[in-house]
Amino acid sequence: MNLWARFRSWTAAMLRRTRMEREMDQEMRFHIEAHAADLVRRGVPQQEALRQARLEFGGMETTKEECRDAVGVSFLETLMQDVRHGVRTLLRTPVFTVITVVVLALGIGGNTAIFSVVDAVLLRPLAYRDSGRLVTILMNGEGPVSVANYIDWRDQSHSFAAMGAADYWSPNLTGVDSPEHVVGLKVTQGLLPMLGIEPLLGRLFVEGENKDGAEREVILSYRLWQRRFSGDRNVLGKPIVLDGNAYVVVGVMPQGFQFAPFWATRAELWVPDAFGARIHNRGGNSLRVFGRLKEGVSLTQARAEMSEITGQLEQQYPGTNRNVVVTPLKERVVGQIETPLLVLLGAVAFVLLITCANVAHMLLARAAARQKEVAVRAALGARRERIIRQFLTESLLLGGLGGAAGLGLAALATRALIAMSPASIPRVQTVTIDLRAALFLFSATILTSVGFGLAPALQASSINVNDALKEGGRNNSEGIGRSRLRSLLVISEFALALMLLIGAGLMIRTFAALQTVDGGFNPHNVISMVVSVAGSREADPARRAIFYHQLIERVRSLPGVQAAGAINHLPLAGDLWGWPFVIEGRPKPRPGESPGAVYRMVTPGYFEAMRLPLIRGRYVSEADNVTAPGVVIINERSAKEYWPSEDPIGKQISFDDDKASPPTWLTIIGVAKDAKQGDWRATPSPEVYLAAFQNHDFLGDSGSDVASHVSYITLVARTAGDPAAVAPTVKQAAWSFDRNLAISEVVTMDGVVADANAQPRFEMRLLTIFAAVALVLSTVGIYGVISYSASRRTHEIGVRVSLGATRGDVLLLVVRQAMWLALAGSVAGIVGALLLSRLMTKLLYGVQPTDPATFVAVATGLGLVAMLACYIPARRATRIDPVAALRCE
Amino acid sequence: MHKQLEVLQGTLHMLILKAISLSPLQGYGILLRIQPMSKERLEIPQGSFYPALYRLEHHGWIESEWGESENRRRARFCRLTAAGKRRLQSESKRWNQMTAVIAGILQATPEEL
Repeated sequence: MNLWARFRSWTAAMLRRTRMEREMDQEMRFHIEAHAADLVRRGVPQQEALRQARLEFGGMETTKEECRDAVGVSFLETLMQDVRHGVRTLLRTPVFTVITVVVLALGIGGNTAIFSVVDAVLLRPLAYRDSGRLVTILMNGEGPVSVANYIDWRDQSHSFAAMGAADYWSPNLTGVDSPEHVVGLKVTQGLLPMLGIEPLLGRLFVEGENKDGAEREVILSYRLWQRRFSGDRNVLGKPIVLDGNAYVVVGVMPQGFQFAPFWATRAELWVPDAFGARIHNRGGNSLRVFGRLKEGVSLTQARAEMSEITGQLEQQYPGTNRNVVVTPLKERVVGQIETPLLVLLGAVAFVLLITCANVAHMLLARAAARQKEVAVRAALGARRERIIRQFLTESLLLGGLGGAAGLGLAALATRALIAMSPASIPRVQTVTIDLRAALFLFSATILTSVGFGLAPALQASSINVNDALKEGGRNNSEGIGRSRLRSLLVISEFALALMLLIGAGLMIRTFAALQTVDGGFNPHNVISMVVSVAGSREADPARRAIFYHQLIERVRSLPGVQAAGAINHLPLAGDLWGWPFVIEGRPKPRPGESPGAVYRMVTPGYFEAMRLPLIRGRYVSEADNVTAPGVVIINERSAKEYWPSEDPIGKQISFDDDKASPPTWLTIIGVAKDAKQGDWRATPSPEVYLAAFQNHDFLGDSGSDVASHVSYITLVARTAGDPAAVAPTVKQAAWSFDRNLAISEVVTMDGVVADANAQPRFEMRLLTIFAAVALVLSTVGIYGVISYSASRRTHEIGVRVSLGATRGDVLLLVVRQAMWLALAGSVAGIVGALLLSRLMTKLLYGVQPTDPATFVAVATGLGLVAMLACYIPARRATRIDPVAALRCE
Repeated sequence: MHKQLEVLQGTLHMLILKAISLSPLQGYGILLRIQPMSKERLEIPQGSFYPALYRLEHHGWIESEWGESENRRRARFCRLTAAGKRRLQSESKRWNQMTAVIAGILQATPEEL
């Protein structure tokens, strides 16, 4: 009941505000008058009695305020008062208000945008049921394993509630209006159920189903279903043609479902993999293995068990099962991007700190100008808490406006971030400004407001009323504490800006270093596209070679095309497909130690089109056909690795792992320059280029499993002008053979190289933007402090000038102060950068985190900017007329 | 005249409740009643008296209504509520216990140790 009574009294008080005020007034007046009357009765004269009664009662307004406090009305009341007062104050200085709000919006909005990216990419669990228990089991952390190996793991382990595997598969989707090369996965039946996501339509695969000869089934992604079937719910049970075979649609996954999350991320369909004859295969490593930990089994336990199992398997099958790693699925997905994103989050937090410092000293300067107002309020009985509260309300008002503007900015910024983010950032498409981001924004706003408002509020409220009023609001010598605080703010701003600039400088140097990296080939004016024959007439092994020949010939004859050729997988953009080989005349290597190389198949003209130079020997030519002896070109790295002290030309190697028949030897005819393979930063591994027209897998008549992997070629054409402009003509040329050919991944080589560097570019751009904002803010900061203190020292400068100081002396006086601040800031910044830049090591290439050149350049540059910033107030100071300066005191 | 004592921290509520419990009173009247009850030895700061009154009402221990005073002026008369009565009882009990305990401590002699 007590609570209820309080609530009633509070609401009554709120509702009957005026009445309560009137009654309170009446009651107290009655009290004073009654008391006075008593005094009169005791013989005190009328006038004196009233005075004494009032004196004894004390401050009526203070008492009323305490009464209001007692019933709790005054909190809201005071708040409204302060807000009204704050709004008036802010409106009185619109320029200050607008600048502050913009600065805050930049800080808060930027932080919210980056936070929402970090949240969506790093913090949130993966979108599978109980996804924390999902793991990957891979060789060397990311490498695939063989089918037989996977089956051993599955059958021998007990730590997993379920284990499944997936194999990359990119079939041609034909039989619908336009053929399309789609990315898919062949998965074990238990894999999708293990993820715990129900299909939108139909069902998942059923264990034990889809044995050889059974009907082939397929599950579609929501996107593919929308794109190719316009979201038709009757798609279930309908057949679709993949690589020329009919598959029945049994299910459609819900919108936003993605699998696998770290590789084959664009998979749009899933088919069951029954393994067939591959069940005994221990050679071809192509399966990615996933598991769900049993309830109560820890990652450590699972790791221990797997290392025991793989240890035994390694003894049993030497060369396999080395370095098998059980990794949480989420770590595999976000592990690579974690450091860069955290660095960016840290950088943007620095920007917010600078923003706070900047706004804080703007408010400090303002608080000094408002000394008189505060003094008057204090003299009228405002307590210190009350003044602090008033100032904080104003700060919160400013912060709130900044936060509101920041929300809009964050919404725009996240959209821009999504657009400019590299493909290497997983889940970035799911970034939105949602409730979590809004909560973050809200707390950032409150913290920021208190952060920048507290110091000015404390300072403003601590004034000595007498002094402030006596001096008429003019204070020629600033309190030491006050100016020290402001200097400290500028120094920290400067230091933070320096650290950000060094970060940005290091990224710029990294990016510059990446630009000078020689990719091996010349990427300018090259167009490429994947032409897939699967499911078309040209898939027929009898036609395939002829078709490829004719296609390349036709492309060469197109106007604007200078050279053309083809390869199985494009460098940087395509798969890295490795294969072990044996070298003729050398002892048979121990299992698992055979030489290996990235395996490419090229047609004549490929090297010329890519301008990938030969170091020695000759290119693949038209003469190297099925009937001619097998040839191969190796890269420099292979030559150094496998023939360190001899000439590899003329040596023979073989990729046959069939022990029964004698190996097919390939003769090395040339050594090509190293070309980048998967990662622009990495040193290329050994690589071999086989003549495509000698390769039965490529021609489709080998009958092996590999053949299905190479039912396409990547056309490469060097053009005279803009390569993208030639792309449509090349496509038309291909379709003029067969309208059923699927053409995909039409890209320029320049684009491929740019994509390979997309992540450092993204990091560099963002850091540079943050650093630029920091630079502007700290410049404004140092300008503000110097010009403020110079104007406070007008009198002092006047005295100096009248005592014979020259213009140069005055200039030096002002500049010296700025230089001290800049120097202190630089020292602090450099120390901070030395400590923090190490965290960026993973982001850098070709530059040390403590790169002296960057440090010196940035510190000098920032020093110069500081000098410029203080030059204007210094010039103004030199023009001070001593007579006027002294008179105005 | 004896030197006046200041009201002990936290006891003002109890004194007001006690004063009102005898009969409904208006603000100034409460002060006038407490003074003789204390044999004029208690000084009540008038500034903190009204906030205390409002706080008591806010807690629901007293309620008030406007009536006419002896000199026919409108005044607010306060009356104890049921909750206020209970509060007064519990507070006086606590106070008595407390003074007894403290007095006991203060009268302790070396022999008792």
